[in-house]
Order: sequence, then C-alpha cells, then structure tokens
Amino acid sequence: MSGLRERNESAWLLPAGPGTNSKLRDRMRRYADDDEVDVVIVGCGAGGATLLQRLARAGWRAVGLDEGPFWDPEQDWVSDEAGSHHLYWTEPRVIGGSDPVPLGSNNSGRGVGGSMVHFAGYTPRFHPSDFRTFSWDGVGADWPLEYGELRPFYEDIEAELPVSGERWPWGDPHGYPHRPHPVSGNGEIFLRGANACGITAKVGPVAIANGRFGNRPHCIYRGFCLQGCKVNAKASPLITHVPDALAHGAEIRPDSMATRIGFDERTGLATGVEYVHDGINRFQRARIVAVAGYSIETPRLLLNSTSPRFPEGMCNDFDQVGRYLMVQGAPQTAGRFQAEVRMWKAPPPEVSTEDFYETDPAKPYKRGFSIQCVSPLPITWAEHVAAQGHWGAALRRYMSDYPHWACLGALCEFLPLRENRVTLAEETDRHGIPVARFSYSQCDNDRQLMSAAQQVMERILTAAGAQEVITINRYAHLVGGARMAAGEQDGVVDRNLRSFAVPNLLVTDGSVLPTQGSANPALTIMALAARAAGVLVQGARRGTPMSMKED
Amino acid sequence: MTGLPLADADGGGRYPGFSALAQAPHWDPVTAAVVQGRMALPPDVRFFTPAEEAAARALFDQLLDQHAEPRVPVVNMVDARLAEDETDGWHYDNMPRDGAAWRASLGALDREAQSREGCTFALLPLDGQARLLQDICDRGQDLWHGLPADRVWGLWTRYACTAFYSHPLAWDEIGFAGPAYPRGYKNLGVDRLEPFEVRDVRPEADPTRRADR
Ligand SMILES: Cc1cc2nc3c(=O)[nH]c(=O)nc-3n(C[C@H](O)[C@H](O)[C@H](O)COP(=O)(O)OP(=O)(O)OC[C@H]3O[C@@H](n4cnc5c(N)ncnc54)[C@H](O)[C@@H]3O)c2cc1C
Ligand code: SF4
Repeated sequence: MSGLRERNESAWLLPAGPGTNSKLRDRMRRYADDDEVDVVIVGCGAGGATLLQRLARAGWRAVGLDEGPFWDPEQDWVSDEAGSHHLYWTEPRVIGGSDPVPLGSNNSGRGVGGSMVHFAGYTPRFHPSDFRTFSWDGVGADWPLEYGELRPFYEDIEAELPVSGERWPWGDPHGYPHRPHPVSGNGEIFLRGANACGITAKVGPVAIANGRFGNRPHCIYRGFCLQGCKVNAKASPLITHVPDALAHGAEIRPDSMATRIGFDERTGLATGVEYVHDGINRFQRARIVAVAGYSIETPRLLLNSTSPRFPEGMCNDFDQVGRYLMVQGAPQTAGRFQAEVRMWKAPPPEVSTEDFYETDPAKPYKRGFSIQCVSPLPITWAEHVAAQGHWGAALRRYMSDYPHWACLGALCEFLPLRENRVTLAEETDRHGIPVARFSYSQCDNDRQLMSAAQQVMERILTAAGAQEVITINRYAHLVGGARMAAGEQDGVVDRNLRSFAVPNLLVTDGSVLPTQGSANPALTIMALAARAAGVLVQGARRGTPMSMKED
Repeated sequence: MTGLPLADADGGGRYPGFSALAQAPHWDPVTAAVVQGRMALPPDVRFFTPAEEAAARALFDQLLDQHAEPRVPVVNMVDARLAEDETDGWHYDNMPRDGAAWRASLGALDREAQSREGCTFALLPLDGQARLLQDICDRGQDLWHGLPADRVWGLWTRYACTAFYSHPLAWDEIGFAGPAYPRGYKNLGVDRLEPFEVRDVRPEADPTRRADR
C-alpha cells in the first residue's frame, strides 16, 4: 500500500476515532463567484468528490457544489431508521412506465458524500464482459473503454476506501487490501446454504476497513450502514476523498442547488454554473464544468439548461440525454429458521456470489445476476412483510418472529432500453424548475432474470434449513441517462467523460454507464471519475487547451 | 408507559422482560434524543381535517391491530410527517403527491363505508372495517374511487409501518434492541445473543404455519 498516503491522505486527516476535522473545514479555501476557477463540479458524491480530490491534488482551483448539507456524522446522523429521513433526496419527482421505480430512501442521497453516505457498502468490480455485452451477447451496448483501462483505477480506489474481502475468483480474479470481516448470522446462513448447493460464495467485497485505517476506527458491527456510518468505519467520499481535497485547496459549497449550466453562444463553451444558495441566485465562473448529480438530477440539469444553441437541453443534439437509464432488479428473498439469526446485527453487506453473473448459454435469457446478503431493519422488514398482503394481527405476528429470518438480495442486470428515461415533468420544485419524470418498463429478459434469481435464493435458503421463504420485488442502483459512447449519435459523453457537444463540459457520475452488470456501481463510478481526472491533468500538463478533445 | 397490548396468540410475550428503552444509557445523545422523543406527548393533529382524522385513526388501528391503550400514536406521527411535507418526494404519475393522496384516499374510505352501510368508516363495526379493507387489499391494480387500489394500499401500509416500527415499544415485541452506537455488537452468528438481548421463548411460533391470512 506504499504511496497510498502520498496519493490520498484523507484517512489521516480525520480525527482519531469518530468525528470530523472541523479545522480543515473552517480553514477551507474560498473562491469568489467571479474568480474563474479551473473546474466547478455539481454534486459531491461518488463521482463528483473523487474528481474534486484528484484535480485539487494536481493543483487545480476546484469548487464542488452540493444541494445538501456538509454532514457532521456525530451530530447529524442517528443510529435509527426513521430518524435518517434527511439523508435522502426527497424533492419531488414523478415516476411512471409499466414498471415504475419508487425512489426516495432506496435510491438516492444528498449532501456531501452523496448516496454513498447511506449506501450498503458493497464494492465489487465490473467483469471484463460488462464492457462488451453487445459484441459478446448481442444485448446492451459496448463501452468505448476496455476493462483493462479501468483496472489500475479499480486498484487505486480499492486501496483508498479501503475494501475488505476474500480473494475474488470471478471476472478478472483479484485480491483485496483488507482481510474479510467476520460474518453474522445472516452471512453464516448464506455460506451454509450456498455450500450445500455447490454454489461458490465469498465474504466481501465491502468498503469497510478491517482494522484501523489511518485515523479511522474499526467497524463495531452495529448494522446501521444504510443510515450513515457514525463510526467512520464505512467509506463514503465525505471521509475518503473530501478531507484530502480540502487539504489541497478545494472548496466545497454545501446547500447550493445548481439550476443551470452557463453557456457562451459565441465560443460554444460552458462558462460556469448557476446555483441557488440561501435563496440567492449566484453564478460560479469556471474553465471546465463537471456534472455529477446522480442519474436523475444530472439529466434533469442538462435538460433544464436550454439556450438558442441547445433548445432541447444541453448536449441533447441527438435526443440522448436522459435515455438508457437502468435500475437493477433487486428481489429480496427471506427464509424462516427455527434458530435465531438476528440478521440486523453486523453490517448488511457481508457475503456475495457472482456464480450467475455471466450469460449461461443453457438459459433462455442473456446476462445474469449476483446474490448478496441484505439485512433489513424493522421498518424495511415490516414493508417486506406487508408486501405479502399481511396487515393487522397477521403483520404484528409476523413481525414478532423477526429474529428468526435471514434475507438475501439479488442484483439482476436489467438491459439498457431507449425508452427508460428521464424527461421534464410539468410539476416544478421550490425553485420553480421542472422536476424529473422517470419512466421505467421492463423487457422480457429483465423479468426472466428476476424469477431466475428468486429461484436461486430460495434454493440457497432452503438448503440452509429454511422452513418457509417469502420474496418481494425491489429495484436498486440507478445508473445511465447520459451514457458514454464511441460517437455522438449514441451517447452524451466520450470515453474520457467529456460531452460530445461542449468540449469543456464533463459528466462524471453514474449517469455515464452504458451497461450495469450485476455489480453495485459505486466503485466503478469512482474509478471512472479518477480515470477522467487523470486524462484532464495529463492534458493540462501537455498544455492542451481545454477545448480540445484528448485521446 | 407499559408495553403494548398483544395477545400471546398474536405474537405477544415472546421476549419476556426485554426493553429497548432500557438500553438508552448505551446510546449516543443525538440518537437517544430522537428515539426517546417518540415517547413524549405526540404533536397535535394539524394536517388532517377532523373527518380525515377519524377515518385515519380507524384505518391505522386496523392496519396495526391496535385496539386498546397504550397505543403507538400513529395518526399523530403520520399527520406530523404530512404537515411538515416530510415525504419521500416521489409519486406515481397516476397518483397525486402524498398529502393529496392521503386526503383523497381517506375521503374514499368514508364514501365506500357510506355506500355499503350508510355511515363513515370510523363508525363501522370493527369486522365491517376489516372486511372493507381486505376488499381493497385484494383489488390489485384495479381502480378504487378513481385511484389505483394497489398504490393506495402501498401508501397506507408504508406510512403505517414506518410510524409503528420506529417506536421503541414496538421493538420490544420483535426482540430488536434499537440503536447500537457506540456499543455495537460483539456476539455475531446464528443463535448468538448479546447479554442484553432476550431469547424468544416460543421459537416454534412460526407465523407462516398459521392457516389464516
Ligand atoms: C440504500 C442504498 C444502498 C446502496 N448500496 C450500494 C452498495 O452497496 N454498493 C454500491 O456500489 N452502491 C450502492 N448504492 C448506490 C450508490 O450509492 C450510488 O450508485 C452512487 O453513490 C452514485 O454516485 P453518483 O456520483 O452518481 O451520485 P451520488 O453519489 O448520489 O452524488 C450525487 C450528489 O449530487 C448532489 N446533487 C444532485 N443534484 C444537484 C444539483 N442540481 N446541485 C447541487 N448538487 C446536486 C446530490 O446532493 C448528491 O450529493 C446504494 C444506494 C442506496 C440508496
Ligand atoms: S456496521 Fe460498521 S460500517 Fe456499518 S455503520 Fe456500523 S460501524 Fe459503520
């Protein structure tokens, strides 16, 4: 791990034990709106904060805007489900299509650190096949990038989070910087059931340090990862990239909602970002603009940024903005055991299998799914039970049985479909800006994957001794909506995440993924942002003007 | 406040003597304030009209089988969320936003009761209320008073479950000890309990084995 601290000192900049480095925040460099900074980034989540840290390290004058607060985990987060409502993006959004995807707590976050603040913590890599699904399987799309080009960035980010897990036998086999964590009752059931069915299951990969990491403490196995880790054990950009960015002169402006990207008709370049802070409209000038607001807000911002050159929204010359949005089908199957599993103890992310990730020629469907532990807390579990049609006395009776249940979740690779997209709704938000309308409909392949995954989860739980199994259908992990492509007719950005239409405008979040595999996306989003930052920095060193495309 | 009433046959008494609130000295102050706040006098009803409040009370008592005191004040908790517009933000394109959806669906409950029995939902006998609710639950995607029945059912149960299972007294009957910071857990694994957890005394009380519902 030599060189890690030279590359990213975040874990050493935090106080020993839980807490924040308030001095670092108090002494943060501040730019004036009319300073033309080198880069302004919309959104300080997985993609945005990684880019911010990399560019600040390279000496760029960088500003990150985020709509939400600059969290202090000790003061602002609680070890409680209902009390964590403020972690989610709860501005209005409209959902539709034949299979609408509920948003809120299950899909998007806000504030510095983004959705990773309350993500579960699974950080698998994509498989090499994910970058070639069209050529190899005849579905989805090929990336304008090879797996091998992303590998060094995967390795870097895995060291910076850091990731713990067993040696990973799937995809491009690799090891992890930290040893696997001990498993709880839920993980134990998964391993036992998988073993009995001849399915390979492994512990990891989770972005939770095993042992001290810099000044960050050890996980205390308290199971509230989805409510934000008060301990600083689980990674989120708030603790893995933001401290180092601040130490290198970046400014983060929380509570700042970007409403429009500035554009100069004469030069054809982006000029900065319009945003609202404390109710006042402001404009930050910048040489480069990067948008990293998550798969719904990123397309929404582009669509709302109209001008004479872009009457249908910025970068939308070929009607690509907002399209090919994807969620993973995420059915959850729970099993009832005579023994007490108490699945809520320990972090929800523990054990996974990727045995079913790749296309199986014997099956009628293409691509596949992964299976992981999930460990719902009482409210989420009650929704699971209520979804079976139980209410009243039956609901209370089921709930009293909570300690006896184990729960697995699948991630099914839904295919990117043109009509699954974000458009602008009639409805407006508090700022008077049209909100996103998100429409989703599944295809046959999607539905086949959902039922195949359910059958495997039922098989595993039954083999582990479950007396009864119940399943609910859920969806997780939105990606796509401003995808990367080889040419401007098929996507919004190129392999370096620069938009085809505006040379100094980048998109650096999950929106750029052309396919999603059956892996949780955060690690890949960070790796892509780190790679894009590398290209920008190299270009600047070579003296290439920012308005010229690289590579 | 003593425990919530729950008959043994309905899953009561499985964790004798267990109390989540008794763990409060082990919670961090921010979390403790949030959880203990739920034991305080609930906020007055501000969002629901009196007629809506009556229908909502009867609805939540049915959905959560709360027919005697002490109760988790679910009506006040949901009303407070709606008054503060503390919703999840999103709504289906064939449903209004949550506040309006609550008003519309509670009004529909009363209209349905009126057309069946000539009185409001709250004034129906308990078994009549239960039958009416089961009918809505069974309708699936069909429209019910102009709203998709499954979406209405989802709205009601989502808010009901979030309020009820956020309450420490509800945790007592499901064996959940609540917040776990900064203490954490030390005994991980099947059938391994912390010293403060209480083992289920009726592990054979498998709810899936019962014939009803
Ligand atoms: C419950 C849950 C569990 C998850 N579990 C996992 C997991 O185990 N593993 C995994 O890999 N992924 C997981 N994810 C998904 C993962 O967190 C996201 O895919 C990832 O964080 C997305 O990164 P992003 O950069 O696209 O957006 P985000 O990280 O969401 O960052 C976007 C940021 O932009 C800000 N923003 C948006 N619009 C604006 C605007 N107009 N102006 C200013 N700021 C704006 C937002 O406030 C936010 O902070 C989970 C997500 C959830 C909700
Ligand atoms: S289980 Fe560990 S990683 Fe998860 S929130 Fe608790 S301390 Fe943090």
